[in-house]
Amino acid sequence: MLIFSVFKTLTDQQVTVELKNDLSITGVLKSVDQFLNIRLDNIKVLDEARHPHMMAVKNCFIRGSVVRYVQLPPESVDTQLLEDATRRESAAQTKR
Amino acid sequence: MDTSSAIQEPFDLIRLSLSERVFVKLRGDRELSGILHAYDGHMNLILSDVEETILIVDQADGAGEGQPTVNMAKRKMDMLFVRGDGVILVSPPSR
Amino acid sequence: MASLQGYVDHRVLLILQDGRAIVGVMAGFDQKSNVVLSDSKERVYSMEEGVEEIPLGLYLVKGDQIVLIGELDEAVDQAVDLSTIRAEPIPPIHY
Repeated sequence: MLIFSVFKTLTDQQVTVELKNDLSITGVLKSVDQFLNIRLDNIKVLDEARHPHMMAVKNCFIRGSVVRYVQLPPESVDTQLLEDATRRESAAQTKR
Repeated sequence: MDTSSAIQEPFDLIRLSLSERVFVKLRGDRELSGILHAYDGHMNLILSDVEETILIVDQADGAGEGQPTVNMAKRKMDMLFVRGDGVILVSPPSR
Repeated sequence: MASLQGYVDHRVLLILQDGRAIVGVMAGFDQKSNVVLSDSKERVYSMEEGVEEIPLGLYLVKGDQIVLIGELDEAVDQAVDLSTIRAEPIPPIHY
């Protein structure tokens, strides 16, 4: 839930999604859901010469389960807020 | 309360590493070093100031005698979400 | 929600876990992101020859096999002469 919320705060920001098939796609984060499926607009594949497969693709839906990394814009991430939220969530979990 | 009593279960160890540099071992011969800012029960992580090391093992043609050459590729990333299903271990900073 | 609703009746590219690339018109989808494509074709990439298109017709793809669904800009897609494209196939997903 925490990570889902983080991604929601990053909508309309530029991110780079690296997939488990080694494809890296940069684009504007349009939406995310509870499975961390991601929709990107205005996409660009890294090293397009080697990967022309997505030349004509303008926006895409990426299945959360195939994501390895997402590179985030550091200026849009409040790390103190994240750490506090993580402590709160883990405390709530242990109480159960 | 000393550290050992604060650690009741595995995730406590990760919680105490928040805002510290951690070492993360991932599937696919990848390792990360970065400052831990967030995690969840799936071991999804958010790290900053990340250095990734990828071990590329080239089993040169003729998999018999020739010893495989191991190449290391490194790369840096400012702020990174890591999907938990690739995480093998998270290790707290050495002290 | 990262929904697929916007893709219905649009020409899309599907990339699958095994690396296959399939284009077609999205006829429908469901909660598990199972997808039905009409007038679909597999695009087979290789370094030796241009892209080969294999007609598949009406095609159901299970959601768990899907890596990515991309909306094609039809003008851009039609402007590409596939016979001139040389590229390695997309690698399969390995967990």
